[in-house]
Amino acid sequence: METCLTLTSVSWRHKIRDFSTWKPWAKKDGPGIHSIDLKIQKGSILGLIGPNGAGKTTLMRAICGLYDCEGFDKSCASRRIGIGYMPEQIRWEGRMSVRSALQTISLMRDKDIDLDSIIQTVGLSSKSEHYLDDLSQGMRQRLSLACALVGEPRILVMDEPLNGLDPLAQRAFCNLLKDLASKGVAIVISSHQVSDLESFVDRIALLHHGQLLAEGTLPSIRQNLGLKDGDGIVEMICSVTGIDPEDVSLELSNDDLLPFKQHVGEEE
Amino acid sequence: MSDFNLSLHIMKERLSAGRMLVIWPLLAMFILFSSWGLSDPKANLPGGLIIDSAYDVMYASTAFIVFSATMGAVLISFDGISRDRLSGVLEVKLSQPIKRSVYARALLIGHWLAIFIPVLILNLLSLVIIWYRMDDLPSLEELFIHTIATGLLLLWYTSIQLLASSWAKDMGSSIAVGLGVWMLFTLLWLVLTTVVAGLSGVGVENLNSSEYLQIQATMDLFSPNGVYHLLLEMPLTDVDRGISPLATSMAAILWSTLPLYLFIRRIERMHP
Repeated sequence: METCLTLTSVSWRHKIRDFSTWKPWAKKDGPGIHSIDLKIQKGSILGLIGPNGAGKTTLMRAICGLYDCEGFDKSCASRRIGIGYMPEQIRWEGRMSVRSALQTISLMRDKDIDLDSIIQTVGLSSKSEHYLDDLSQGMRQRLSLACALVGEPRILVMDEPLNGLDPLAQRAFCNLLKDLASKGVAIVISSHQVSDLESFVDRIALLHHGQLLAEGTLPSIRQNLGLKDGDGIVEMICSVTGIDPEDVSLELSNDDLLPFKQHVGEEE
Repeated sequence: MSDFNLSLHIMKERLSAGRMLVIWPLLAMFILFSSWGLSDPKANLPGGLIIDSAYDVMYASTAFIVFSATMGAVLISFDGISRDRLSGVLEVKLSQPIKRSVYARALLIGHWLAIFIPVLILNLLSLVIIWYRMDDLPSLEELFIHTIATGLLLLWYTSIQLLASSWAKDMGSSIAVGLGVWMLFTLLWLVLTTVVAGLSGVGVENLNSSEYLQIQATMDLFSPNGVYHLLLEMPLTDVDRGISPLATSMAAILWSTLPLYLFIRRIERMHP
């Protein structure tokens, strides 16, 4: 399969407030992603899974050129041309119409874009002249998807896109993603539930504490980790860390579940 | 061309915002009523101010523009970036392939046009009022200087406010910075000037003394409102506060470029 984008040892650390000094502007390295190697393939759907704080969103932002990461070329603007990004749960609001919001995004891309077909694709035709304030959460998710589709991207990056959608819309959404993948669009989609993605992803990448723990097809990952069908993310992480799933509690921090290297200055 | 279209789109969006229902009447009252009042030949103005030409009316009414239009610039721009940031929309916008510097320029021009166009329309209407009341019109040169200076003043406030909006993590901080800057230059600058004059050994008993006026003019170079008035004084032959047109122009260029540079730099390095 043709590779659209290759990530080689991509790292990024967030800057967080350093409370060890009195200076309010002092920052130190915080959590992030560490040495991620990943290939995004044309026409395939890659599911990023991991618990809260695993680095899924950071990795997606890195792919979309929102961070100047180590291990990535610096020409973010050129990379962004072929990428459509749908962040998690955008609160679209204001006295602006759906069409106008999409027009803002299309004006940020240097090509003619048929907004009507995008609006139709995401099922917002009847709402295109409605104010953003009047949209339901599901409609807002559709608008976010429409923004990601502007410019016919080669790679679609979607952060928890199924949140806030009713089951019918979820099914329609998954069908749309499969359709786009069949047309050659590479899709990267995140969730903290394996069950959300199981039915339609081709490959899974398991992230934890900023590190890529496993990558491959779901059966192969389960086989490698000695898990049975139906086992989810908790079992996968417990299998890697050696912790009994029955012992998992909120008292266990990410550090307790981290089998790999500790990064200097990193905090929960 | 697309970045200009983006600016126009941002301008339209801002002009159709609900807050314009408050800003329009405020601007109209300040700009039109001040022109009406100041062009009254029987008007008895404080400080022995004598008004005998159309440009004198326009010059005197700029005190009301400084008060209202700059506040309008703050009210239009305070959430120019912070709102998108809080709602998550900024993440979508920053992930688009447009250069960050181009996006920053489009934001600035869009927000600036959204306040400048209403002020320009009202200024043109005030010309009609002045002509009706005094049967006099300013020369083209005076009109040009007045328009350019007003445009620059609004550009300075817009860029400062957008910069504050890009720094702020919430709307409250953004508007606090904007209002703080507005109060500093509009209300507190006179106090600061008096303090500087006092520290320099110039008596503040007589605010019309030549020493005090010199210090005031120098201090004005460090304030957008002051530079605005220095620019407007250029065509006036009977006003000379000892600041050369070159110094005024340099200050205007610095006020135009420095906040703009900081704003573009900020957007280029910004993370959602």
